[in-house]
Amino acid sequence: MAAETLPDPEPLRVARRDRLRAAMDKHELDLLVLGRVANIRYASGVPVLWNAGTRPFGPGCVIARATDDVYVLSTWDEGVPKEIPHDHLFGITWNPMNYVEVVKTIAAELKPRRVGTDANSPLFAQLLPMALEGAEIVDGGPALRDARRIKVADEVDAIRRAVAVAERGLEKVIAEIEPGATERSLTGAFMDAMASEGVTTPATQDVVRVMMPSRHPDGVLAAGDLVRIDGGVVVDGYSGDVGRTWRVGSAGDYSGATELFRRGDDLRARLLEACRPGGRGGDLLEAYRLAGEAAPTRPVAYGLGLGFDDPVITPDLPLTAGAEPLDPGVVIAVSAVVADGHVGAVASRDVVQITETGPEVLTTSPFWNPA
Amino acid sequence: MVDVFTGESSELDLPSPPDHDRMQRERGLKIRSKMDETGIDAMVLLANANVTYATGATWPLSDAGRGNVERPVAVVVAGDEMPHLFTPYEAAATLGIDADHFHGPTYLDAEEGVARFADALAELVSSGATVAVDEITGAMHGAKQQIFSAWPPRSASDVMRDVRVTKSPEELALLRHGLWITEQAMAEVQSALVPGARQTDLTATFLHRVFELGAEANVLDPIWQVMPDVKAELPWTTHGDVACPLLTTERVLDEGDVLWVDTGIQYGGFHSDFGRTWIVGGEPSERQQAQYEKWREVDDVVRSVARAGVTASELTAPARAVFDGQDPWMAHFYLGHGLGLDLAEPPYVGTDLGERYDNRQVLEAGTVIVIEPVIWDEGHSGYRSENVYVITDEGCVCLTDYPYDPYGR
Repeated sequence: MAAETLPDPEPLRVARRDRLRAAMDKHELDLLVLGRVANIRYASGVPVLWNAGTRPFGPGCVIARATDDVYVLSTWDEGVPKEIPHDHLFGITWNPMNYVEVVKTIAAELKPRRVGTDANSPLFAQLLPMALEGAEIVDGGPALRDARRIKVADEVDAIRRAVAVAERGLEKVIAEIEPGATERSLTGAFMDAMASEGVTTPATQDVVRVMMPSRHPDGVLAAGDLVRIDGGVVVDGYSGDVGRTWRVGSAGDYSGATELFRRGDDLRARLLEACRPGGRGGDLLEAYRLAGEAAPTRPVAYGLGLGFDDPVITPDLPLTAGAEPLDPGVVIAVSAVVADGHVGAVASRDVVQITETGPEVLTTSPFWNPA
Repeated sequence: MVDVFTGESSELDLPSPPDHDRMQRERGLKIRSKMDETGIDAMVLLANANVTYATGATWPLSDAGRGNVERPVAVVVAGDEMPHLFTPYEAAATLGIDADHFHGPTYLDAEEGVARFADALAELVSSGATVAVDEITGAMHGAKQQIFSAWPPRSASDVMRDVRVTKSPEELALLRHGLWITEQAMAEVQSALVPGARQTDLTATFLHRVFELGAEANVLDPIWQVMPDVKAELPWTTHGDVACPLLTTERVLDEGDVLWVDTGIQYGGFHSDFGRTWIVGGEPSERQQAQYEKWREVDDVVRSVARAGVTASELTAPARAVFDGQDPWMAHFYLGHGLGLDLAEPPYVGTDLGERYDNRQVLEAGTVIVIEPVIWDEGHSGYRSENVYVITDEGCVCLTDYPYDPYGR
């Protein structure tokens, strides 16, 4: 991170805007009205203040297909790229009718026939038609997914930088793992390491968890505990993740942990093998089945990019996973989770880029080694 | 929860530890009573704060990108005391939600996820029922005929806003503890504030400490904005007022820099809010002291009139009166905002919604508001701080318990 707030680099903006324009063409969307933070950044290149959790929908960015104009919700021009002039900025407002006016003014000249939004609310489902008279308002999600699911080279580089920060945070946590340390103190150590690298925005704040039936209720680590470290950071908007499981203390009775680590290695190898170009997201679910492991409650894999991306691969969405092509340019975080009700659980998460020639694993963190 | 309060919030008699079951019972009663009053048969809740309110579930909030996909969803059905919870997170036995109301994750950003959720919803809600929602994902929008009996659907946000605006003693206890964690960590950051530190170093210290003290999450990338003497040195703005808050970078802090500090964390689902002005490695000048004293004048006059039954306009008018008739707050924000399961939530005081809106905003006992005046002194920078108040029948009690150093000494 630099000492000033800059827009995303121009080549990245241009590459993303090209993909978005192609998607708008394909889906015949004359206008996109975006509320999701990641979509706004994808389209505009403007960094925005990070806050945790979901946000209510409101128009934060409008993109016009006919003119390539981008209009952004920003009261100031810091971080706003040169192709977005001052008269394309609209300030923070608490009155929803002001948003209606903004959209109405933009639409007045363009007369869009089809308008996509990336989310909506009962309020804006009522108000937007007032601003877009005569236009059909549809789900813009498929267009955004088409644009975002394949990463351009500069995006992969951004993800690599984020992965590197997450991995150094993980290293810091591992160095502090010892009996008596707590999930909270270790999570604090991760955040400290991240911010000391100049990155103040985590992707997840559920970083350290003891994965034992005997977990201390306050998350205090005991010798022999299996500890899951799940690091995720957001660097220049892009997410990078890494997950490992560590055992507290190196000597003593492994009480089945060694076998659990072996199963985790086997599953991970099968999952990475399944990340082939031409494959399907469902192949990862199949890898779990072939390894004889139950798929976890949370996604087996999800796309990385500006935040969470498609594909989201989980047994809860079997048709989606089965249809999801693993094309070159897809970057996913893949989770290998194995559990034993008596011993505990071992989990890892790696970032994998699908390339023409096969999977490229972007994470390089070591694994726990009993020796 | 062990915390020591030295300020006036120690006068509040709040349960320690808070009774989770009692808190949820009361929340449930308020929700169902409001649903009954507004003729809503069921609510589908997606907003993190609404899910927490309805179910009692809390989890460390993630980045918005992830939070939109891996999100718990609640369904509240009229006549059923227990909410349904669809969640990717581990079943917390302490929530007191029965197994038949506890569901696996649902993915409402995916068409298939919406189709499956619609099936699950049909099991819980009779057809033709009036279902309200607080958010409509793109995939829900795409499948509107399948999941909504009317378009646009009824708003659950209106119901939730009304029930969330006043806080129970249990809720105040959680909120106060989150403030305590924030202030403890800020004290460490401030004591280590030296010229040569980067803004991000302050964040490192803050985040490390809040997690050690038990925060569930950070909720706002901490702001340590260096305020120049004149507005022109800040970025251009649409309205000509100061640009704030600007993002934290690796900017190195110099001696004498005026820092506007602002952040919040999550504890028990509640968000905290913290705002102070600091001077890096120095003491305020007489002029800067005068800015602070003017800020205190605004804060004092607001505090003296705030009580249950007053309107937002009754807070803004005296605040303006002590600032030569101008608004002592930023044009794109407000004099004050509510605080609870969201960092900024209703009631809003002094927004661009205008006088008519403020006239209708009547403060109720148990409402928590953050008063955050700004004294801009063109040519000499400015002063901004925030105090958190809970409104009572008699007046208000300040929950913020943090000094104004180096000002006011």
